[in-house]
Amino acid sequence: MIVDNPFFVLGIAPDASRIEIEREAQKLLGMLELDFPDARTYVTPRGPQPRTAEAVRAAVAALRDPFRRLVAELWARHAPPTRTAAPPPAEAPAGIPGFRRRLGWRP
Amino acid sequence: MAEAPLYVGIDLGTTNSAAAVFDGERVNVVRNAQGATVTPSVVRLDKQARVTVGTRARRFVEQDAANTAAEFKRLMGTGQEIEFPAAGVKRKPEELSAEILKALRQDITDQLGVTIERAVISVPALFELPQSAATSEAARLAGFSRVELLQEPIASALAAGWRADGDGGGTWLVFDLGGGTFDASLLETRDGLLRVVGHDGDNFLGGRDFDWVITEHLASRLSTVPQRNNPAHASALRALRLAAEDAKIELSRGERAQVTLAQPLSIDGNDVEVDLELDRATVERLCTPLIDRALDVCMRLLSQNGLGPGRLGKLVLVGGPTVMPMVRARVSARLEAPLAEGHDPMTLVAQGAALYAATASLDGRAPSTAAPTGRQVWLQYPAVSADLTPHVVGKFVGGGEDTPAKVKLVRNDGAWSSPDATVGPDGTFVTSVTLLPRRACTFTLEARTATGTVVPVTPSALTIVQGLTIGDPPLSRTLGVALASGHVQVYLDRGAPLPARRTFTHHTIETVAKGSSESVLRIPIVQGEMSQAHLCRLVGTLDIGGDVVTDTVPTGSAVEVTIELDRGGRLSARALVPSIGQVFEHVAHLLVPDAAPEALDAAIRDLRRQLMELRTDAFRHGLGQVIEKLDRIESRLSEAERDIDAAHGGDADAAQRARRALLDVDATMSEADLARKWPELDDAARHVAIAASSSVGMHGTEAERTLLQEVLAAMDKARREKDAPELERQMKLASRLSNAAFNRTPEAWELYFEDVASDMSTMRDLPRAQRLVNEGKAAIEKTDTDELRRVVKALWSLLPEDSAARKKGFDSGVR
Repeated sequence: MIVDNPFFVLGIAPDASRIEIEREAQKLLGMLELDFPDARTYVTPRGPQPRTAEAVRAAVAALRDPFRRLVAELWARHAPPTRTAAPPPAEAPAGIPGFRRRLGWRP
Repeated sequence: MAEAPLYVGIDLGTTNSAAAVFDGERVNVVRNAQGATVTPSVVRLDKQARVTVGTRARRFVEQDAANTAAEFKRLMGTGQEIEFPAAGVKRKPEELSAEILKALRQDITDQLGVTIERAVISVPALFELPQSAATSEAARLAGFSRVELLQEPIASALAAGWRADGDGGGTWLVFDLGGGTFDASLLETRDGLLRVVGHDGDNFLGGRDFDWVITEHLASRLSTVPQRNNPAHASALRALRLAAEDAKIELSRGERAQVTLAQPLSIDGNDVEVDLELDRATVERLCTPLIDRALDVCMRLLSQNGLGPGRLGKLVLVGGPTVMPMVRARVSARLEAPLAEGHDPMTLVAQGAALYAATASLDGRAPSTAAPTGRQVWLQYPAVSADLTPHVVGKFVGGGEDTPAKVKLVRNDGAWSSPDATVGPDGTFVTSVTLLPRRACTFTLEARTATGTVVPVTPSALTIVQGLTIGDPPLSRTLGVALASGHVQVYLDRGAPLPARRTFTHHTIETVAKGSSESVLRIPIVQGEMSQAHLCRLVGTLDIGGDVVTDTVPTGSAVEVTIELDRGGRLSARALVPSIGQVFEHVAHLLVPDAAPEALDAAIRDLRRQLMELRTDAFRHGLGQVIEKLDRIESRLSEAERDIDAAHGGDADAAQRARRALLDVDATMSEADLARKWPELDDAARHVAIAASSSVGMHGTEAERTLLQEVLAAMDKARREKDAPELERQMKLASRLSNAAFNRTPEAWELYFEDVASDMSTMRDLPRAQRLVNEGKAAIEKTDTDELRRVVKALWSLLPEDSAARKKGFDSGVR
C-alpha cells in the first residue's frame, strides 16, 4: 500500500478529483506508450519505483471504487515523507545495535 | 486532412443482430438490404451449400428447418457442429456467426461505401472464456483484422447514457431481456464517467421462454397435443412456435390475435387444423411469472448494493421482449423508477458498441498506407474524453531537415488554440486541448522550428469527442490458479481493468522427470468468486510434461506463472521454470463440454440426491434461509429436467441449456452447503475478529487500525445478513491485517517456528527439516529475526499436501 499506492503511481495528491485522476492517467499512458524517460519511474517514500502501463491502469481502477479510494487515501496521507533518492543501505542508522529491531522494525 | 474516423459496433445476438456506426457526432444504425435495422441471426445452406442469411433465411425455419440454423450463439465454444443435410456439410457455430458478421459488414459497405476491418462486438456479460474466444474467431473468419469484445450491459448503458443530456449523475439499472438471457446491471454516472456498480442475471431466461409458454398453451388447445420430448413432433412444434412468436408481437399493439396456419399440422399421422384465438390477457397471465423472475434478480441486485426500489434514477430497457407494453408497465411499477425514453431496445447494444469503439480508438477503417509527408509524429490522446481539457502527448520520430522546437494545436472552429508547447531534445512534447461539450472537435497540429519556420507534420490533425466514457472494460469474473491445497490463488479480481497481467511464483509439489510422459505438472486456471477451487469453473490448463522439459524439474522448484487477458477478455498464460530456463505457453483451452442427454440424466440424479441430503439437514437445524435457497434449486432442477426431456428429443440447444443450468445448480448447492456450515463459520469469524483487534490494536499502525474498523463493520454486516461467501472474504482481509501487524513483533516468528517444528515428523524431506529446525533454534538464541523468518518459510514449504484437497484443486501440481 506504500510502494504501489495509486496516488504515488499517478503522482497526484490524495485530494485529486475524479477528472484530474483520469486526465493524469491518460497522459501517463500516452507518455509510457511513447517511451518518455520521465514517465518510467514514480516517487514513493521508499524510493523511486518503475512505472508500467498496467500499474497505471490498475491505479485508476482502484481510485474509481469509492472504498478502495478511501483506503488508498489513508495510506497516502499517513505515509512517511517522500524520499526521492534511492533508499540508503539498511544498516545506515547509527545507535544501539538491534535497537530498532526490538522496537518491531523490519529492515 | 485525414478522413474523420468511423467507429463500428456490432450486436451479435441470439435471435437478432444489428450494426451501428458512430462518426464522432451521431450514432447511426445500419440498415440491411431489406431496409431493416435488425437482421435475424439465422443462416441457411441450400443444396449447393449457398448461404442465405437474415430475414430471407428465417422464412425457411418453418419449411426447411433441417437446413436452417437459428440460435447457434448458444452453442458458441462448444465444438458442436451443426449439420446441413441438403448440402451434406457441417458447420461450427462460429462459422455460422461469421456469416452473420459478413452480412452486416457488407451492409455497412453498401450504406457508407467504406470497407470495415475493425469493430467492437458485444457479448453477454456472463460469457465464459471459450465462448469469447469463439466470438473472436467468428470475426476473424468474417474478415475483420481486429475486434474488441464488450459486455452487452456496458454497451446499453453507454448508449443510454450518451443521450442523457446533462442530467448529471445518478444510478441506472439496465434491464436487458434478450432472446435467451437476462442481464441486470447497476451503473453509476458521475463527472461523465460511467462505472459498473454491480451485475446479476439469469442465463436461462429470455424471449424464447415467453414463446415457449405461449406455444405450450396453444399446443394444449389442439385436438392432438404435440409433446416436446417426442422427436416426431418437433416440426409441428416449430411451426406452432413461429406462429406464437408472431402472435406475441401482434399483441404488443392489439388486444387480440388470430393464430392460423395455412397448412394443417401433421401429428401422429393426423392432420390437425390450427385456428385459435389468443388475447392479450392470456399472454400476460402466461408471461407474468417469467417477468417476475427477472424482477427478483433486479431486487436482489439492488439490495446487494444497499438500494431499495424507488432509489433508481433511471431504468433502461433493452431487448425485443421489453417492447411488450405489459413488460414495460410491470417493470417500471415494481422498481418504482421512470423508464428512459427514446431508446430503441433492439439496437441500443449495437449503438453502445459503436460508441465504445470510439472510446477504445478502434477506427473501423484499416490504417492508411499512404506515404507520410513531412515530419512524422506519434500522437497519444483519448478519442473520447469526459474531461473538457485532456492532454495530448506526442513524439517526433525519424529525421528531417528542420527540427521542431514548438508545437501548437488549433481547434478547427478557430475559436481556440493552445499555447506553444516546447519540444524536448528527444522530440517529445506534452500539451492539452479544450473541447466543446458533447461535440467532436478536430485540431490541427502546427509545428515550428526555433526560428519560426513552419515544419509540415504527419498526421497533421486529430479528433477528440467529448462525452460519456467508460474506462477500461472490467473483468466479469475473478480469475486465478487452483493450488494443490484446493484453494485458489487469485490473479485478477473481478472488476480488474482489462488488459491486465499478473505474475506469481509458485512451487512444484512433485518432480517432473525428463523424458517421462507420465509425469505432468498441471497448472489449472479457474474462474469464479469462491476461494475453493472446486467451486470455480475450470477454464484452461497449462501442462508441463516430462516429455517436453529439457531437464528434470525437482520438487519445490519455482514456477513463475503469468496470466494475461487482453481488452476483449482473451486469456493467455505462461509458465517460466527458472531452474531450467524454459517457458511453457501452451494453454489447453477447454471447450464448453458436450451435453449428452445420458450424462445429463446421471448428473441430475446426483444433484437430486445431494439436494435431499441438504434439505433433511437444513430442516433438522431449522435454517430457513437455506431451505428457501434449496426450494429455488428444486424449481431450477425441474426446469432442467424438462430441457433434458427435449434433449432426448434431439434438441441440442436444450441440452446446452440443461448443462449450464446444472452447473449453476451445483454452484448454488455449494453455497447452500456453506450456509449449512454457518454456525462453524460464525464462530470462526468471532475468533478472527478478536485476534485481529488485539493484534492490530497492539502492533498496528494508525492506517491499519482504521482499515480494520472498516473490515469489522463489513464482517458484522455479513454476519447479520448470513452471507457466507462475503463473510469468508472479509475474514481473510481481517486475518491479513492481523498478520501484518503481528509479524512486526519479534515473538511472532518464534511462535510460528514452534508451531511448524511440531509438525516435523510429517514433512517431506526429513533430514532437511531436521537441519532447518536446528538452524531455527540457533537463530532464536542469536535473536536473529531475519534468519528465523527464512527458516520458518522453508519449513512451511516442506509440509505435505492433502491428496483429497488436491483433487478438489483440479489436480494442481503447484502450491
